[in-house]
Amino acid sequence: MTMTATIGHAHADPHHIGIVVEHPGPASKRIVTAYGFWVFLLSDIVMFSCFFAAYAVLVGQTADGPKGSEIFEHRNVAIETVLLLLSSFTCGMASIAADVRNRFWFYLGMAVTCVLGLAFLTIEFREFANLVSRGYGPSRSAFLTAFFSLVGCHGLHVSAGVLWLLTMMAQVFAKGFRADILRRMMCFALFWHALDIIWVAVFSVVYLLGSAV
Amino acid sequence: MLGKLDWSAIPFDQPIPLVAGAMVLVAILGVLAWVVVKGHLPYLWHEWITSVDHKRIGVMYVLLASVMFLRGGSDAIMMRIQQSVAYQSQGYLPPEHYNQIFSAHGTIMIFFVAMPFVIGLMNLVVPLQLGVRDVAFPTLNSVGFWLTATGALLVNISLVVGEFARTGWLAFPPLSGLTYSPGVGVDYYAWSLQISGVGTLVAGINLVTTVLKLRTKGMNYLRMPMFCWTTLASNLLIVAAFPILTATLAMLLLDRYLGFHFFTNEAGGNVMMFMNLIWAWGHPEVYILVLPAFGIFSEVVSTFSGKPLFGYRSMVLATMAICVISFMVWLHHFFTMGAGPDVNAIFGIASMIIAVPTGVKIYNWLFTMYGGRIRFTTPMLWSVGFMVTFITGGLTGVLVAVPPADFLLHNSLFLVAHFHHVIIGGVLFGAFAGFTYWFPKAFGFRLEEAWGKAAFWFTFIGFYVTFLPLYTAGLLGMTRRLQHYDVAAWRPWMHVAAIGMGLLCVAVVCQITQLVVSIRNREALRDRTGDPWDGRSLEWATSSPPPVFNFAFHPDVRGEDAYWAMKQHAKEQQLEHHPEPEYEDIEMPRNSPTGFVCAFFASVMGFALIWHIWWMVILGVLGAFATFVVFAWRDHDEYVIPAAEVARIDRVNVEERRSLVSMAGGV
Amino acid sequence: MSDQAHVPTGHDLAPGEEEQHSVGERILGYVVGLVLALLLTATSFFIAGTDLVWQPSIPVALIVLAIAQMGVHLVFFLHITTGPDNTNNVLALAFGLLIVFLVVGGTVWIMSHLNQNMPPMDQFIRMHS
Repeated sequence: MTMTATIGHAHADPHHIGIVVEHPGPASKRIVTAYGFWVFLLSDIVMFSCFFAAYAVLVGQTADGPKGSEIFEHRNVAIETVLLLLSSFTCGMASIAADVRNRFWFYLGMAVTCVLGLAFLTIEFREFANLVSRGYGPSRSAFLTAFFSLVGCHGLHVSAGVLWLLTMMAQVFAKGFRADILRRMMCFALFWHALDIIWVAVFSVVYLLGSAV
Repeated sequence: MLGKLDWSAIPFDQPIPLVAGAMVLVAILGVLAWVVVKGHLPYLWHEWITSVDHKRIGVMYVLLASVMFLRGGSDAIMMRIQQSVAYQSQGYLPPEHYNQIFSAHGTIMIFFVAMPFVIGLMNLVVPLQLGVRDVAFPTLNSVGFWLTATGALLVNISLVVGEFARTGWLAFPPLSGLTYSPGVGVDYYAWSLQISGVGTLVAGINLVTTVLKLRTKGMNYLRMPMFCWTTLASNLLIVAAFPILTATLAMLLLDRYLGFHFFTNEAGGNVMMFMNLIWAWGHPEVYILVLPAFGIFSEVVSTFSGKPLFGYRSMVLATMAICVISFMVWLHHFFTMGAGPDVNAIFGIASMIIAVPTGVKIYNWLFTMYGGRIRFTTPMLWSVGFMVTFITGGLTGVLVAVPPADFLLHNSLFLVAHFHHVIIGGVLFGAFAGFTYWFPKAFGFRLEEAWGKAAFWFTFIGFYVTFLPLYTAGLLGMTRRLQHYDVAAWRPWMHVAAIGMGLLCVAVVCQITQLVVSIRNREALRDRTGDPWDGRSLEWATSSPPPVFNFAFHPDVRGEDAYWAMKQHAKEQQLEHHPEPEYEDIEMPRNSPTGFVCAFFASVMGFALIWHIWWMVILGVLGAFATFVVFAWRDHDEYVIPAAEVARIDRVNVEERRSLVSMAGGV
Repeated sequence: MSDQAHVPTGHDLAPGEEEQHSVGERILGYVVGLVLALLLTATSFFIAGTDLVWQPSIPVALIVLAIAQMGVHLVFFLHITTGPDNTNNVLALAFGLLIVFLVVGGTVWIMSHLNQNMPPMDQFIRMHS
C-alpha cells in the first residue's frame, strides 16, 4: 500500500463529482457497537409492529368471549406504566454513574431498575394468571391470542432485559468499568429505553384504545 | 422422555429418502473420518470453525450454499422427472413425498442456497472494498454463519428423522395448521427458518454497520464501489424484513404449539393475515437476493469493460429507490385473494413502478459496455447472460403485475416460470459471476476459463429449455405443484423441460469439474499480484488471498474506482520509489468458538422443540445463554500482529505489484 | 479493529450518547423527560376514561399523545437530536419508522378490504343469519 500516499484528485474522480468533505475513516468502537445495536433495536421494533398489526386486525374477533373493556383494569396498567417510566429514569442515572465511574450510584441505579422491572413483571404475570384462571386464556379467542402475544412479547423482552441487567452488574463487579463493559452498558440502556417506548404504544393501543372497541 | 420421537419417525418404508439420507450420512462420516485420520481436525478447528475472519466466514457461507445447492437441485431433478412421467399415472413419487420435495426445494433454494451465497460474497468482499480490516462485529459474524448452518442441518435431518413440510415453501395456513398438518414437517420448516433467520438478521446488522460506520479514510458514500451500495440496501432490507418473518412464523408456531388463534378458522382467527404478513417479508426478500447480484454485475461489467460504471449516481439512486419501493408491493402476491379494486390497482401500479429503477440499471450496464474494451471472461459471460435473461424475465413480471392478467396466471406454471426466470437469471447468474470473479481473491488462483464457459453455456441454454416450456404449459392452464395430470397437451412441454433439466445437470458437472481442474492446475493459475483482472476497487489492492489483516495500512481513498486511480498514478510516477512507510503493530480479533458452540445448542434446542422434548429444550436454551455469558466474560478479545510480521507480509506483495505495474506501464 | 487505529471522527455520535454535558445537566435532562412522560401518560389515562371531551376525538387524541410521548422518550432518554452528529442515527430511525408505518398501515388497510370482500367464516354466518 505504499502507492496510496500521494494520489492527486484529477484521476481519482472519474465522474467529476467534485471535491467533497473527506470521510475521516472508520468510527470508534463505541460508535460502531452502539450503532449496530441501534439497528438491531429498529429491527426489533419492526417485529413488534407485526404483533401490533395482528392486534389491530384481530381486536374485534372476540368469538363471543370477553371484550377488551371487560377485562382491562386501567389502574393496574397505570401502575405498570409508572413503574416502567421510573425504571427508565433510574436506568439513565445508572448510565451516568457508569460514565463517571461511580460504583455506588451505578449499583444503586441498576438495583432499583431491576426491582422496578421485576415489579412490572409481577403485575403483568398476575394479570395474565388471573385471565387464564377465569377461562380467558389466549386460546379463547383471536382477540385474546393477539393480546397475550403482543403484551407477552413485551414482557419477555423485559425479562430478558432483567437478565441482561443482572449480568451487567456482575460484570462491573468482576471487571470494573472497562471500555467493552461500558459499551455493553450503553447498549443495555438503549434496550431498556426502547422497551419503554414500545410500552407507550402498548398501553395506548392495546389497553386504552382496545377498551373502546 | 423423547417427546413425539420414536422409531416410527424413521421412514423405513420409503426407500428414496432413506437411501438418500443414508448416502449423505455415509458421505459426511467419510469426510469426518478422513479429516480425523489425516490429522486435519486441529487445523479445521483453529483456522475455520472458530475463525472470526470475514474472508473465512464468507468462504464457509459459499461452501454451505454450494452443498445445499446440490440438495435443492436433486429435489428439482426429481420433480421434473415426476412431471414428465406422471401423465395419467402416479409417476414414481407418491403425493405425500412429492409435496415434501417441492416444499423442501423452495425452502432450501431461497434460504440455504441463495441467501448464504450472497451473504458469503458480501462478507468476503465488502470489508476489502471498503479498505478495512474486518466487519463491525467479527464474533457475531461467526454466530450468524453457524446459526444459518444449524437451519440447514435441521432441514437435512428431516430427510431421515420424521418428515418435511408438505405445504409449499411458505407454509400457508390453514394447511400448515395443526388440523391439516399434524406431523412434524411444518415444525421442521418453521424452526429451521426461525434459527437461520436469527443468523441472517445478525449478518444484516453486521453488514449495515460495517458499510455505514467502517470505511477507510476518504471513502465517502459516493466513492463506495457499487457492490457496497447494493450490500447496504440489501442488508437494510434484511434488517427491516426478517423480523416480519420471525414474527409471522412465531405466530404460526404459537397456533401449532399452544393453541393460539392467529391463523385458524376457529375463534376469529384470520388465515389471510398470514399471507399478508409473510409476503410483507417475502417481497423484500426477493430484492434482498437480487440487489447484491446487481452489485456484482456492476463490478464485473465495469472491470471487464475497462471503464468506470456508467451513471454511478443514478445507479445509487435506483438501488435506494428499490430498497424503499420493495416494501410497497407485497400485495401483488395475492391479488386474487379478494382485495378491492383500489387496493389491487395501487399495488399493481407500485409493482410496475419498481421495474423502472431496474430498467435504469440495465441501461447503465449497457452504456458501461458501450465503447469499452470488453473482455469476455466467464464472469462477463454470466453478466451478459443475466442482462438478456433478466430483461425477458422482468417483462413477464410486469405482465403478472397487471391484476386482471394475474387473475388468469396466478398459481399457474407461468408464475413458476416467471420467478425461476428472474431468480436463476438474476441471483444465480450473479452468484456464479461473483464466484468466478472473486475466487482468485479468496484462494490465490484463478478458475479454469474453459470449464467456466462451458458451465455458463450449459446453464444458459439449459435454463431456457427448462423454463420456457413451463410458460407455455402455464398458459395452457397447468397449475403449479401437480403430482400427476391427465391433460395430453401439457405432456410434451414436460418432456422438454426434463431435457432442459438434463442440460442444467451437465452445467453443474462442469462447475464441479472446473473446481477440481483448477485446484489441480493451481500453480499455473496462480495470481501473484493480487490483481488478476486489472480491477478497479480496493479488494484488488491487497494480495490474493489477503493477509488476515487485509491491509497493512488503511488505504487513503481520493475518488471513485480507488484502486484504478492508484494504478494510474503509479504508472505516471514512473515507479519512483517512495520511502517505505513505518509499519505498525496490528490488533486483530481473536478466534472464538462462541458461534459454533451457540449453534450446537441451537441445534439441540431446535430438534427438541420439533419433537416436543421439553427437558432438552431447556438444556439448549441454558447452554446458549451460558455460552454468551462465557464469551462476555473473557478478558482478551484481541491479539497483536507485530510490525515486523506485517512488514514481511506486505513487502512481498508490494514487490509483486511493482513488477506488475512496470510491465503494464511499459517501462 | 483496534481502538487506537481508529481516527477520531469528531462529528459523529453513538446512538444514546449525549453531547458533552456536566453530570448535573444530564440528570436534569432525565428529570425533565420523566416529568413530561408522566404528564403525557396521565393525560392519556385521563382522556381515555373521561366523558368531558367529544368521544370520537378520543382515539385521535390518544394516538397523538402516544406519539408525543415517544418523542419525549427519544429526545430525553435516547438523546436523539437533529444535529449533524446524529444524521445516521436519525436516518436509521426514519427508515425503521417508515417500515413500521408501511407494515401496520398496509396490513390494516389490506385486511379491512379482505374482511369486507371475503369475511371470516363466523362473521359471514353472522351477516347472513
